[in-house]
Amino acid sequence: MSRRYDSRTTIFSPEGRLYQVEYALEAISHAGTALGILAQDGIVLAAERKVTSKLLEQDTSAEKLYILNDNMICAVAGMTADANILINYARQAAQRYLLTYNEDIPCEQLVRRLCDLKQGYTQHGGLRPFGVSFIYAGYDPQRQFQLYQSNPSGNYGGWKATSVGANNASAQSLLKQDYKEECDLKEACGLAVKVLSKTMDSTKLSSEKIEFATVGRTPEGKIYHHLWGADEIDALLKEHGLAKPVDKDNEE
Amino acid sequence: MASGYDRALSVFSPDGHVFQVEYALEAVKRGTCAVAVKGGSIVVLGCEKRSAMKLQDTRITPSKICLVDNHVALAFAGLNADARILVDKARLEAQSHRLTVEDAVSIEYITKYVASVQQRYTQSGGVRPFGISTLIVGFDPNDKTPRLYQTEPSGIYSAWKANAIGRSSKTVREFLERNHKPDMDREETIKLTVKSLLEVVQTGAKNIEIAIMAPGMGIEMLPVEDIEKYVESINTEKQEEAATRRPGGGRAAAGGAGAATIPTRPAGESAE
Amino acid sequence: MEVLLGITGKDFTIICASKAAMRGATILKASDDKTRNLNKHNLMAYSGEAGDTTQFAEYVQANVQLYSMRSGTHLGPDAVANFVRGEVAKALRSRRPYNVNLLLGGVDPTTGKPSLYWCDYLAALAKLPYAAHGYAQYYCLSILDKHHHPDIELDQGLKILRMCTDELKRRLPIDFKGVLVKIITKDGIREHDYVDDKQILPA
Repeated sequence: MSRRYDSRTTIFSPEGRLYQVEYALEAISHAGTALGILAQDGIVLAAERKVTSKLLEQDTSAEKLYILNDNMICAVAGMTADANILINYARQAAQRYLLTYNEDIPCEQLVRRLCDLKQGYTQHGGLRPFGVSFIYAGYDPQRQFQLYQSNPSGNYGGWKATSVGANNASAQSLLKQDYKEECDLKEACGLAVKVLSKTMDSTKLSSEKIEFATVGRTPEGKIYHHLWGADEIDALLKEHGLAKPVDKDNEE
Repeated sequence: MASGYDRALSVFSPDGHVFQVEYALEAVKRGTCAVAVKGGSIVVLGCEKRSAMKLQDTRITPSKICLVDNHVALAFAGLNADARILVDKARLEAQSHRLTVEDAVSIEYITKYVASVQQRYTQSGGVRPFGISTLIVGFDPNDKTPRLYQTEPSGIYSAWKANAIGRSSKTVREFLERNHKPDMDREETIKLTVKSLLEVVQTGAKNIEIAIMAPGMGIEMLPVEDIEKYVESINTEKQEEAATRRPGGGRAAAGGAGAATIPTRPAGESAE
Repeated sequence: MEVLLGITGKDFTIICASKAAMRGATILKASDDKTRNLNKHNLMAYSGEAGDTTQFAEYVQANVQLYSMRSGTHLGPDAVANFVRGEVAKALRSRRPYNVNLLLGGVDPTTGKPSLYWCDYLAALAKLPYAAHGYAQYYCLSILDKHHHPDIELDQGLKILRMCTDELKRRLPIDFKGVLVKIITKDGIREHDYVDDKQILPA
């Protein structure tokens, strides 16, 4: 019955639904978990890396976390190839704004540009929607630190803590349980690894399996964003007792 | 080139329906409810707000009521992302109109524009219609008559005294039909708006958004505390009403805010 | 012989523009307003080719207002200035450049800091404590060099402005029909009632 409305391009089903968009959401629910947590003095993004291999270059192949401009980063869940297109677009939009106004683009506007493009792919002919959800972390002087999430339909919303991808329901309820409004960035990082450790298949994490990034403020008041290196992630995992004990592994 | 996708997605069926447009209306019905009520010299927009989840940042989550120009407000029901695009087009037209004829748009003009964009998307190649209905309110420049229009995915537009779109809009419209009076003052208009929304919003003030437009003024978003007051006064009124009608009938009062809305509805009618 | 002047102070920017609309040596109108509000805290004053100026000003105004409607926030003075410069620069390299000289006065509503930008028809942009276009440059900058201080109060700013307009009346060969004065503060833009009927004769 529904074949007529879901096999071609994005059109309304008799109940007024957009199946293509819903299927795209379905695709994302199989992707690695990504989450973001807003703290008083910054934001943390963390993501599960699905493809792992010892041969993969650790530093150069970020798969889930990307820098958009000087004060915004994002985490991706879904089809990485689609994400690349959108991230490219967002980076261009951010630079275009910088060129026009000599100011960094306000976070919501950048999110909106991206979502307008996503929306276009759900309405104009012959194209499938983008199969990616994003979590954005950014700062602008007007609204300080902000966390957004967007999905293939082109909807977006602001969040204090959120997650996308596989197991996102359990991640979300864990966040709901443990999120504290007045937490600082360090506590947020702790919460992020804790949630990831519970939603991922393996209980013991390692820097190969997750990616980590923070937006924050330096003691001098400058805004920075930082994609964490493998050693930093391992240190954090060790601190929270979630790291995979290397030696023991060999013994077993 | 001709891959089959450049043809119109919305075409007539043999029995004369344009299904995509009808289905778009279904998308509207799935959206949260929006109400608009005209008073004597005021017009009020009310929206049902999806209950914000605990972790949602309400500070930066976009609203369903938006300004098209300083004197034109728009509320929508349906797909949020579609609305953003349509509102953006309307905003561009409003400023472009100012640039060409040095006057702000009239409410009817911008309604016609919005409707014509919606119509175009029912008849162009390779696009689906906008899955939204809109309520456009405001005051024409140098004029004190409140205006209220509705547009639909098909591109139809119409003027109203009060109307509702979205989820359970039929219930709300019927309520408005029964209770709307001409020349209401500010308090009455706001109260009727809140009251009509309470027909479908069971959770009270935190799920209601109210915007007020008065001549020569910008939009005024009513603070939650004020909405709360209206909700409370409506609820006590209803309870009193219920008590007088059925002395000793403790049932309505015991139910709290949710149950108290029921007595004003005619018997046999449900929310959806 | 159009006069544009801008002076910033502690928490304000004064923009002053001559009221004569001229074509060649003929004065067409003595109550011309060469300014335009871009948004609540930004004012643009313009001089140059008659048609270009209004066309450009209206275009910029519409775009700045569109930005406000779309984003729900207002562009700050720095962003406005850079946007305007970009538009002049874009037009300069097109078939039909705008022949306009601009002063952009504004106050940042969040910090309360005043700002003044000077931009000429070649899209050269400079942020300055005080600035002038046209003949005012020759007669007023020396006065401003001597008397201006970044922390002056409004009345002090108006006093310096008086010295400038007096000097202009004393030296300019054509009557520019007095000036229109607008003041931008964190509360918005207002017109200042600038009494300017005293006759001033050169020495």
